[in-house]
Amino acid sequence: MAPLPAPSPPRSPAARTDHDYSLARAVGKVLIRRAAQAVSVTFAVTVTCFVIVQHLPGDIAFRIAAGRYGYDKVDASAAAEVRAELNLDTPAWQQLGGWIADALRLDFGASLVTGASVTDELAHHLSATVHLAAVALLLSVTLGTVIGLLAARSRGGVLDRLTDAWVALVRALPPFVLGLVLIIVFSVQLGWVPAAGHGERGNIVLPALTLAVGLSGLFARVTRDTVAQILESEHVHFARTKGLAGHIVLARHVLRNAGVTLVAYIGVQVLILVEGVVVVESLFAWPGLGHALVHAVFWRDIPSMQATVLALALIVVVVSTLVDLAVLALDPRTREMQ
Amino acid sequence: MTIELLDVRVNHQGRALVDVPRLTLEPGQAVTIVGESGSGKSLLAHALMGSLPRSLQVQGDIRFGADRSCLADVGARRKLWGHRLALLPQEPVLALDPTMRIDQQVAEGHPRFLHGRRGRLDALEQASERLAGLGLHNVHNTYPHTLSGGMAQRVAFAAATIGGAQVLITDEPSKGLDPVARDSLARLLSQHVEHGGALLTITHDLDLARALGGELLVMQQANIVEHGPAEQVLTAPAHPWTQRLLAAEPNQWVPSWRGAGASSADATPLIEARGLSKAYGGLPLFSGLDLEITPGERLALTGPSGSGKTTLGGILLKLVHPDAGEVIHHPDLADGRVQKLYQDPTVAFPARTPIRAGLRDVTRRHRVDPERVNMLMDRLRLDPSLLDRRPGEISGGELQRIAIIRAMLLNPRVIFADEPTSRLDLLTQQETMDCLMNQVSEQDAALVLVTHDIGLAAAVTDRNLSLDNADPVSMAPARVD
Amino acid sequence: MSTTPPNVDHTNAESPVTTAHSQPTPLWGTTGQAPRRIPWARLASTGLLTALALFALIGPLIWRQYTSQDLSQFLQPPSLAEPFGHDHLGRSVIARLAHATRLSLGLAIVCVATAATTGVALGLLAAWRRGWVDQMLLGISEIFLALPALLIVLIFAALASGEMWTIYIGIALALWVEYFRVVRARSVSVLTSPAIEAANLLRLGPAHMLRRHLWPELAPVLLTMASLGMATAVLAMSTLSYVGVGLKPPTAELGLLITESLPYYHEAPWMVTAPIVVLLLLLAGLLGLRAQEVRR
Repeated sequence: MAPLPAPSPPRSPAARTDHDYSLARAVGKVLIRRAAQAVSVTFAVTVTCFVIVQHLPGDIAFRIAAGRYGYDKVDASAAAEVRAELNLDTPAWQQLGGWIADALRLDFGASLVTGASVTDELAHHLSATVHLAAVALLLSVTLGTVIGLLAARSRGGVLDRLTDAWVALVRALPPFVLGLVLIIVFSVQLGWVPAAGHGERGNIVLPALTLAVGLSGLFARVTRDTVAQILESEHVHFARTKGLAGHIVLARHVLRNAGVTLVAYIGVQVLILVEGVVVVESLFAWPGLGHALVHAVFWRDIPSMQATVLALALIVVVVSTLVDLAVLALDPRTREMQ
Repeated sequence: MTIELLDVRVNHQGRALVDVPRLTLEPGQAVTIVGESGSGKSLLAHALMGSLPRSLQVQGDIRFGADRSCLADVGARRKLWGHRLALLPQEPVLALDPTMRIDQQVAEGHPRFLHGRRGRLDALEQASERLAGLGLHNVHNTYPHTLSGGMAQRVAFAAATIGGAQVLITDEPSKGLDPVARDSLARLLSQHVEHGGALLTITHDLDLARALGGELLVMQQANIVEHGPAEQVLTAPAHPWTQRLLAAEPNQWVPSWRGAGASSADATPLIEARGLSKAYGGLPLFSGLDLEITPGERLALTGPSGSGKTTLGGILLKLVHPDAGEVIHHPDLADGRVQKLYQDPTVAFPARTPIRAGLRDVTRRHRVDPERVNMLMDRLRLDPSLLDRRPGEISGGELQRIAIIRAMLLNPRVIFADEPTSRLDLLTQQETMDCLMNQVSEQDAALVLVTHDIGLAAAVTDRNLSLDNADPVSMAPARVD
Repeated sequence: MSTTPPNVDHTNAESPVTTAHSQPTPLWGTTGQAPRRIPWARLASTGLLTALALFALIGPLIWRQYTSQDLSQFLQPPSLAEPFGHDHLGRSVIARLAHATRLSLGLAIVCVATAATTGVALGLLAAWRRGWVDQMLLGISEIFLALPALLIVLIFAALASGEMWTIYIGIALALWVEYFRVVRARSVSVLTSPAIEAANLLRLGPAHMLRRHLWPELAPVLLTMASLGMATAVLAMSTLSYVGVGLKPPTAELGLLITESLPYYHEAPWMVTAPIVVLLLLLAGLLGLRAQEVRR
């Protein structure tokens, strides 16, 4: 049954040490929760991938051998060799145990397609993806916050309405369609930037822009609504009646409070960002995790798929952890949650 | 410097919400405006401050000593905020920035706070001094959520007055405060007056008005109907409206309901509690408490906020487990014969369901004649069409009366009322308690009333159980005949 | 798949219970019934979706042949009978479009229905039983929170690429967790509220609590989530086939139609434009339907 509204006996004036202690405990809680999440997601993805491998049509040993030596050079003896090497004869549960142990060591075996070590390739893909995602996130947060702030300051005005319309348009625009439009306009028609590829200057412009435009719309709207709400709050009214000028109130009271919501919102954004990365990388042939993942799915290269999915999921976990910690730093109330 | 408001009119869509020919604030004097909700008293204060909502039009003049300006010129008044005009916020807990340390929030109102490092340090030092002067030691480094309501009130006072404003305006500052906290608030405000400040207080709390003294103005429907020294107005009211207001104070009530049923001492208790103990956050609220509630008796649970009144009630109703001890309910109480009224009735009804539908579920479940709802609505002077609205769309007093009706449908033997009128103004409180007590005596039910208002407890109950932190359990008869 | 709502649970907090405490008492005379605004966005979205649904239902009956090839009609421009002409294999574009719309809408409805039923049932179970059931379900949902929807769908696409059921399971599995989290959180706050305490004291049973307390609280959120979830499903399906791991030709699917027609965008722009416009309208309709609710 519901506890009654807690009677609030005057809490002991929190001395500094109390405060630091509760902060440390809150940080510990976040780290434990996120670590548990990382482990369970690794476990779940690994088991799923194992099940998929077990159900792949044809002889898996034959496929692996084909990946190593090419289809024309494979014969039964090569397959048998692979089978013996990878313990493919042992019962399924023993193999699964091996898979999980390998996954925890970040050893995902060899690609079924190229035969190369998946872990080695992963590093390249990871750096390309992080590069793209970081640029896109930075761009969208900057763009979104500035537009949202301006819209919040002129609520109901022309800029506010324009933002609204733009946000609605951007939201209904699937990333791959947006990417196509950008390619056709800026690359094919205007010839300003290359359409696809990696390594040349300007390659990153279109993929990053595609990702950022979609994200910044959502960010602008959340910023606008949050700031508008805070501007109406009691404590901002009180700050004004203290005699503080508008820009001081904005800097001292509005931004920090808005930051709590906005930083937390990056945690939601990162899911959308990772989805966007998969689409946009495939569209622009950007050699990152998303591109590799789609390839792996297409060729049913399960070890590569397992590695890329895990890498993307762990990016989500890491960013969520950072977001949680940032919220703890910004909002003192969250430090004392039971 | 004397401040005068002349010919103040606040209009909304052509309707006058405030119409006051003159209001004078003198240094070293407290001015208090009382009146029921909706009399326009808050709007008058905000008209002076220059913080009225834009949808309202204001006319009239304001005079600071010799300077005369138009009340509608809000920009001019804004320049005075902090150093000439200060506003003590209505809900101090909400008025403090949750993400900023206390000393920063107090210091930023200091005129030198934004003038370099030196000025900032000075301001912070003064803020700490002021907080200490208000009895708040060691809190300057903490955040608002760690403060109790009374502490937040003092922090807000320090923050509002550090700018050195002579005029302090407070709007319902005693909302939700228990008598102890209200008295310390009154002392705080009086300090401002003693230091030569001018104080304008808006309240519906006559006890606060009494404590502040000074000049008292009574407002009714946009007009000031009576004014004079507080003591005189409160003891010998001239205007019928003021008389009615004063008669609504619980100690003036002439009960229309009959006294407690002559409950024989040997009657079997309905609720029997033995050796109850409960602690909250490591602090014991009460321990080894024995209590009996006999048929038809009227018991008050009093004490300051945080003393565990509500928790004790929850334990008696078997909604909360005690840390030690046991509660025995008489078999007669089975099947809903114990009912509860809540401080905020809106949270006691399903939020998105029309009230009628919720009541229909009650009458069906307990096979009550639906006509009884209509009859009771009529008896409690409620318009039947209210039932078609949702809980949030009805005033607090009306909804509390509907909650009384809902409880009465089950013919309860025990009614537990948790601060049922603390959010209502005096007149509404009187009306609501009148309805409740009439029903209680008609049903011959026992009443357990949780309240921090000693006067209300004395007017309604026969026995008072005081839960005071200093003196955990003391049982005393409430009325000394 | 940027249609994930900015955390429906937060943005949609409109219950009077929460607002009553967080807002200062309004100055008297300044509140009152706000003039009821006409929900233009909702009206427009409803109209749009009705039109698309009619197209999806009736279109395939009018233009039945969506796979029959006729190379003599290679990239034939639009005419009265064939408003979008023929594609590079001489197939009727409007017929393929109608079938694709039907497929998208149908699959989206089935996915959302599955995900919502599962999520609501588990959310209510967790909120009602609490304890280890709650902890276990929460733990499982944490796994899904680390996996963006598209990744889940992609994993299932690898199982048997090009088959409808993998996409159905993948999307439903990606969507359920959101319903679970929201329903659980809201139900817990309803079930621990004084209103439920009062209902218990009044001895009103679980039917009353479901009908009067939980359902009115959950229904508007669920509707919002359903319309956003359908948008997610439509988008996921077309994205998968666009990147080449979704449904296989010659199925008529919006993403496939776009991929197939892209090489000819210069010669036959109508052929590319048509599926893109249908996709945009579908998403705009679904997102606009409850835009006000998401906003709040």
